[in-house]
Amino acid sequence: MQSKMKESDPILEVHNLFASTDNLPILKGVSINVYPGEIHAIMGRNGCGKSTLSKIIAGHPSYNITNGEIKFSGEKISSLEPEERAQAGIFLGFQYPIEIPGVSNLEFLRVSTNARRKFLNKEELDTFDFEELVKEKLELVKMDQAFLTRSVNQGFSGGEKKRNEILQMALLEPKIAILDETDSGLDIDALRIVASGIKKISNAQTGIILITHYQRLLDEIKPNYVHVMADGQIIKTGGSDLALELEKKGYEWTDNFVKET
Amino acid sequence: MEIIEKITTNKLVENQTEIQKICLHKLQSSPLPNPKSELWRLSNKSKFSNLLDYSINEKDLKLDTPYPKNSQSTIRLIIGENYQIKLIEENYSIQQLSEDELDKFMKEQISFFDQNENWSDLLNLSISCKKNILGLKINGSKIPPIEIFSHSSTNSFNAKTLVIFLEKNCNIELLQVNLGKENSSLSQSTFFFLEENSSLKHGVVSYGESGSNLLNSLNIIQQKNSEYKLGSLHFKFNYARFEINIKQSEGSAKTKIKGMQITKKDEQIATYTKIDFNGPNGFLDQINKSLADDKSHAIFEGSIIVPKIAQKTDASQLSRNLLLSSLAQIDTKPQLEIIADDVKCKHGATISQLNEEELFYMRTRGITLAEASKLQLSSYFQEIISFIPVSKDRWDLLDKLLNEN
Amino acid sequence: MANENLVKDVVREKEPYKYGFVTDIETEKIAKGLNEDIVKLISKKKGEPNFLLNFRLKAFKKWQKMKEPNWAEIGYQKIDYQDIIYYSAPKQKEKLSSLDEVDPKLLETFDKLGIPLTEQKKLTNVAVDAVFDSVSIATTFREELAEHGVIFCSISEAVKNHPDLIEKYLGTVVPASDNYFAALNSAVFSDGSFVYIPKGVTCPMDLSSYFRINSGDSGQFERTLIIAEESSSVSYLEGCTAPMFDTNTLHAAVVELIALDDASIKYSTVQNWYAGNEKGVGGIFNFVTKRGKCLGKRSKISWSQVETGSAITWKYPSCLLLGEESVGEFYSVALTNNLQQADTGTKMIHIGPKTKSTIVSKGISAGNSINSYRGLVKMGTKAAGSRNYSQCDSMLIGDQASANTFPYIKSQQPNSEIEHEASTCRISEDQLFYLQSRGIEFEEAISMMVSGFCRDVFNQLPMEFAAEADKLLSLKLEGSVG
Repeated sequence: MQSKMKESDPILEVHNLFASTDNLPILKGVSINVYPGEIHAIMGRNGCGKSTLSKIIAGHPSYNITNGEIKFSGEKISSLEPEERAQAGIFLGFQYPIEIPGVSNLEFLRVSTNARRKFLNKEELDTFDFEELVKEKLELVKMDQAFLTRSVNQGFSGGEKKRNEILQMALLEPKIAILDETDSGLDIDALRIVASGIKKISNAQTGIILITHYQRLLDEIKPNYVHVMADGQIIKTGGSDLALELEKKGYEWTDNFVKET
Repeated sequence: MEIIEKITTNKLVENQTEIQKICLHKLQSSPLPNPKSELWRLSNKSKFSNLLDYSINEKDLKLDTPYPKNSQSTIRLIIGENYQIKLIEENYSIQQLSEDELDKFMKEQISFFDQNENWSDLLNLSISCKKNILGLKINGSKIPPIEIFSHSSTNSFNAKTLVIFLEKNCNIELLQVNLGKENSSLSQSTFFFLEENSSLKHGVVSYGESGSNLLNSLNIIQQKNSEYKLGSLHFKFNYARFEINIKQSEGSAKTKIKGMQITKKDEQIATYTKIDFNGPNGFLDQINKSLADDKSHAIFEGSIIVPKIAQKTDASQLSRNLLLSSLAQIDTKPQLEIIADDVKCKHGATISQLNEEELFYMRTRGITLAEASKLQLSSYFQEIISFIPVSKDRWDLLDKLLNEN
Repeated sequence: MANENLVKDVVREKEPYKYGFVTDIETEKIAKGLNEDIVKLISKKKGEPNFLLNFRLKAFKKWQKMKEPNWAEIGYQKIDYQDIIYYSAPKQKEKLSSLDEVDPKLLETFDKLGIPLTEQKKLTNVAVDAVFDSVSIATTFREELAEHGVIFCSISEAVKNHPDLIEKYLGTVVPASDNYFAALNSAVFSDGSFVYIPKGVTCPMDLSSYFRINSGDSGQFERTLIIAEESSSVSYLEGCTAPMFDTNTLHAAVVELIALDDASIKYSTVQNWYAGNEKGVGGIFNFVTKRGKCLGKRSKISWSQVETGSAITWKYPSCLLLGEESVGEFYSVALTNNLQQADTGTKMIHIGPKTKSTIVSKGISAGNSINSYRGLVKMGTKAAGSRNYSQCDSMLIGDQASANTFPYIKSQQPNSEIEHEASTCRISEDQLFYLQSRGIEFEEAISMMVSGFCRDVFNQLPMEFAAEADKLLSLKLEGSVG
């Protein structure tokens, strides 16, 4: 699938992945490799399996892998708990970030940041040091400090929730970030803030998978590869121009690919 | 059941006071509550008989209060330690009720008692001797917070009674702590009378040791424009019943209750509440949380009674329950009985586990399952604990709850 | 305030019960009273096989040892079980080969009730089994249904023609010893409907039973049994009326439903028995045991009921969810007025894994009536992944009516969820004013709001029934509110 020669090893390898929930097959043979520095976009209609793929990589307990495998930094991860994957550097940006009443956002961010730091053999941060770090990262997503004292995502607007996701990504410094429809529900200004945040966090060592319906996020963050998913499979892969073509012709255009294959 | 035997043979206590005689008489006709009544149906029989199997002990051991006194400004009382209370300050006074006052009030209360509904109180008042009844009348303002301790002694049955009159316009914070010692039973009955415009922020924290049993009953009468807030927490009892009986005698009063019970191992803790609106414009906001783990059993039954006279009542009751183990059980029954038409009443009940999506979300941020559960539980507890007055900052209840196993 | 008084005024008014007429027809009645001989006599009159006679006699023995329950929020004069006639049937020829042989008076009765039975006039898309006092007098569309293998007949006929099915299933959902009234019914049931839907068949039309009590001194004890085999489905409707008598008539029915793998049964009731007059004199005592067993995987039983009649209603259509992923539903509207008393609700017993249940109950109490919801939701130890959602709303009209909610929730399975919500409200004056300010009559406005309040339940009823129920409710409220 990868056309050019790669100098380093892939961060993430998804190989012929089949998965189901409640005995209902959802993924039917998905393969994708992400190398350092790459940005991949996965597009497709609702229900095509995009979100499921992201949840399975993050280790959601409701899904069963029935065939195929996922490797992260060369190691199989299917037996790892969600938190072990996160600590190792897999980040999932949720399409619908979960509200957790009563749990303070600041405490949540600190505990998770320290879990990741522990894995990286970095010193864990106390409250004061952590607040310093958070303030710095808040700048990236132009969030107000007041967010920190509220409960996790509770009462946040759609845009605030998404910015909170990017803030978490900035704090956790993942090796691979899978961002599930991070652009949905954002107005144009918020979209720019989120996109610039993502760009600042990513670098030549990190990989990014953007799951989206629309071109507009890809205008801000140009992907190296665009994959089109339908019915649990990747039916076409191309460069960033594939997204433009898709935008122009709509998903009906891709229906033909399914028939062809 | 040693105690029941003694009731029937009238050998329960010596030198009976008049109140003891009246209550004993009521019990003698049918010494046990009807096991078929809704209030007793779910009671574990062997645990209940264990509760009644200790000898009555009037002279219990001196209590080593487990927590240092917070500051000079807190008034600490221990039921059963004989002292004359007479605190008369510039803004307030706290005095012992005279025997006549106490007698008159208690007799009136007893006249309304129902054998099933008030069985715990009848038993308490049959046993509770003069020195274990603390009766106070309080008036004034800027009253320092009050802590009142009750405790049982190992291998005995102790009964303690607390009666408090809050006079007009009086405003206090009061924390009641019930400590169950290893292998013992504590019967604590409490009676509060809130006069017009008075306000009570009440906390009840009951915790036991292994093999402790508790019968904790709380009877509140609220006059017009009074405000009663209760934050309660019960945990670590082999068997515990918490019975709350609140009557807004003329309506137009406010009641807020946030209660919680935690059961582990094979413990059984039950909370029964009855809120009676006896006049218009009453207000109730109640939430009861249970958490049942291991092989334990948590029970909540709440009834709200809104007769025709109680127009414009606004009452809400919520029962939220966490069932953490496949061997544990939860029973909950929130009930509404309404005759008035111009009322706003609602209730709700949920039984569930910890929220899986929330847990997953935290885990994808590297937080371990155990830690994520703890965070979720602490937020679950926090709402209740922050409502318990007086000592919340010092007791570190939350940590105690989360870390003690 | 003016509105409030008006509400009270109209509540006091009363619309005559339009089904209150008596059909003058010669009937065959047995003597009043109940003993073993009476039970034997009923069985003999119906020419029943031995197993059924034994079933009845066992039930009678149990009933004699049982006590009438008193836990419901209802109060009534003690029923004298020896002052009731347990068998009453209109006199007609032994065997009817066609509808033409049915006494025209009976046909006329059902015509008047809006249930025409004759070939020319019969409802086009519903098959009807008409039960008059103790016996079923006619069942329409039998041949058409038989083509699909569907059996729809009176239970007496089923006993004769399909004794194996009766013996296999009767009393398996509601055992004779289940409760006082179920035991009584098991001993003396006279007739009722039987439905059998074979494997893989979707019943081509709605099936309906119409129960009519005509005589004043006989009780009605019908028995309904519906069996849906694998992958079959059926929608069944039940309607009830009775004449106005100033004595109370006892109605103690038992309904048993059985759904096998992937089968679905929808059971809808519109109950409009005579409710007694505004002083509480007369009316039907309606003590009914209805229960469905979701035996098969992914089976579904859905109860919907509109309860507007009877002096006393005591009824808890329930579901035993045994099969994995089986589904139970209960949708109810109960309207009480004057001195009516209704104690109704449901039991959802989750036994199998991944079972789901939904309860939506709407109670409307007007006049001096008492309307109670009583429910039980239980998650057994094996019900992993099961869910329940309940919603119980009450509406009070006038300050003499009472509404009670007694939900009982029990869980022994941590991996399950139960959610119960209940609220009580009145018709808000703001809403009334808003509607009135748009030119809507006061009475119309109330009836609009009541029907809006019940919308969630009406949506569950088969279409003709929904319209009927809506009309019935506004009629009841027209007599009572507008």
